[in-house]
Amino acid sequence: MMSTRALGLGSPLRKTLFSPSLARNPSLIRTTFAKRAVQTESLPPSAAVDILNKQRLLRPSSPHFTIYQPQITWIASIANRVTGGALSALLYGFSLAYLFAPGTFDSVHVVEFVGTLPDTVKYAGKALLAAPFAFHGLNGIRHLSWDMGKFMSMKSVYLTGYAVLGGTAISTVALPFL
Amino acid sequence: MASSLLASSSKRALVRRGPSFAKSLLASRPATTQSSDALYVPGGPVYKGTVNDPTSFPEPSRAHGSHHWSFERLLSASLIPLTGAAFATSPSVHPVLDGILGVSLIVHSHIGFDSMLVDYLHPRKFPVLGRIATWTLRTATVGVLVGVYNFNTNDIGLTELISKVWHA
Amino acid sequence: MSFLPRLARPLCSSAARPFSSSAARALATPVAQKPVLNKEFKIYRWNPDEPAKKPTLQSYTIDLNQTGPMILDALIKIKNEVDPTLTFRRSCREGICGSCAMNIDGQNTLACLCRIDRTPKDTKIYPLPHMYVVKDLVPDLTLFYKQYKSIKPYLQNPNPPEDGKEFLQSPEDRKKLDGMYECILCACCSTSCPSYWWNQDEYLGPATLMQAYRWIADSRDTHTAERKEVLQNEMSLYRCHTIFNCSRTCPKGLNPAQAIAKIKMELAAD
Repeated sequence: MMSTRALGLGSPLRKTLFSPSLARNPSLIRTTFAKRAVQTESLPPSAAVDILNKQRLLRPSSPHFTIYQPQITWIASIANRVTGGALSALLYGFSLAYLFAPGTFDSVHVVEFVGTLPDTVKYAGKALLAAPFAFHGLNGIRHLSWDMGKFMSMKSVYLTGYAVLGGTAISTVALPFL
Repeated sequence: MASSLLASSSKRALVRRGPSFAKSLLASRPATTQSSDALYVPGGPVYKGTVNDPTSFPEPSRAHGSHHWSFERLLSASLIPLTGAAFATSPSVHPVLDGILGVSLIVHSHIGFDSMLVDYLHPRKFPVLGRIATWTLRTATVGVLVGVYNFNTNDIGLTELISKVWHA
Repeated sequence: MSFLPRLARPLCSSAARPFSSSAARALATPVAQKPVLNKEFKIYRWNPDEPAKKPTLQSYTIDLNQTGPMILDALIKIKNEVDPTLTFRRSCREGICGSCAMNIDGQNTLACLCRIDRTPKDTKIYPLPHMYVVKDLVPDLTLFYKQYKSIKPYLQNPNPPEDGKEFLQSPEDRKKLDGMYECILCACCSTSCPSYWWNQDEYLGPATLMQAYRWIADSRDTHTAERKEVLQNEMSLYRCHTIFNCSRTCPKGLNPAQAIAKIKMELAAD
């Protein structure tokens, strides 16, 4: 009995032994249970890749930046790109405007237009330019020092990150009054 | 970020159309073939070769590798003293300095924009949109170079303009 | 919390755990039952047998006073007692196998090294970000392993040592490998990297690049030039923009960003 139980045959064997003699007839069992619920199909080993790829095409991609914790590492990095992109877009926008309409976008007209704006708008606009300029410049220095192998420890990354944020805040307030 | 959403949806669209067509291709192959290249979508869930094949590298090119990197770092680093010098000195006295600053800023901007396109709109994932964006950027940069040249020669120059706008 | 460096965080660190619960169990005299401390876990679910169903967050509430201290303990408790269909990888439960890498409360880490936050706030658990999901918390790491294989992560030296025993190395040269050989390839860093999210089929990612440098830096390897040459292109290495998510999230406290910066410096000096 021990050996049959070890093989996992214990209870089926017992069932067969104590069931009516009818059920012990192997051919009868086969005809009764011929239609099994599970069908097997033999496939060549090469079909594995096919099955796997069919499965892969159904797989969803897990969520990323929407669920990732906001950390100064990647937030500062995307901010560096956004501020740089915004300032460059301004440079591109103005240069192309001057290229196509030098009469409208010459220095006299631009300075005159800015001069007509109320002071609050002027200072707000200057702060709006100073903030990305200061951040991109200071964070750029941070990046350049990393590229030289400096401040690479996690502690320095955070320290310099906060230094850049502090410097940006001061510059944003100070630069408009220059 | 929006580009990533676009990427996944376009990938899906390709993939949805793919399976039956690609499956018939695969089915007709000899049993020894383990490759799944027919289903390969850049960045997609089906990869080139089997799970045991390493990924491949693009052709080595220093112009796209270390030289590009070093040039960009040197340029960025030189922008710091250039910006300082341009604002410390009178731009009308140093038109050459103003010109160098203008060109450096444009090249720096171009590399920055180009880096964004490679990251978010790479032509392998966006064969049409990616190429359009790359060529639009190149055209724009040429236009900007001409525009800044015109402004610095016919008008007061970038540094002077910023200085005047700041005190307007 | 999120803007503090990892060093200052009490959670998700392998600090000494209190053994008060097991000590109480060992006492012969009965101890007053601990109060119930319920905590909600919201876990990402997707079942490949019902592929049309969108991935969802399923909520499980368990009593923390009847659970071990780590996130992995909670997951195992949920699987054992609440929902046996919950699927995740785990093996060593001590941070050396790298199987249980997942995104816990927005950070990639090993569930076995991450303490359960005992505040009433719910904890969200996702698979590693921007990976194709096999089932629930199990991502497909095929590409990650294929990339690791591509950098030939083994010693290449056609000249065997004269005494026929082993390649020798000075203590200083051996020291250069510290902080890199400890990597367990859990993929936490690579899947925390935005550059890897957008271009993972072409960019190697921090884990693979750090191992590439581990072999570039090895004084016993003679194929250094070839190892560097393959990285000379726009995508494999230079998609790294020194974001530092990798070093920030590494559950082993390694610094892949530094290793990548060293590769860039060595390539520039060539």
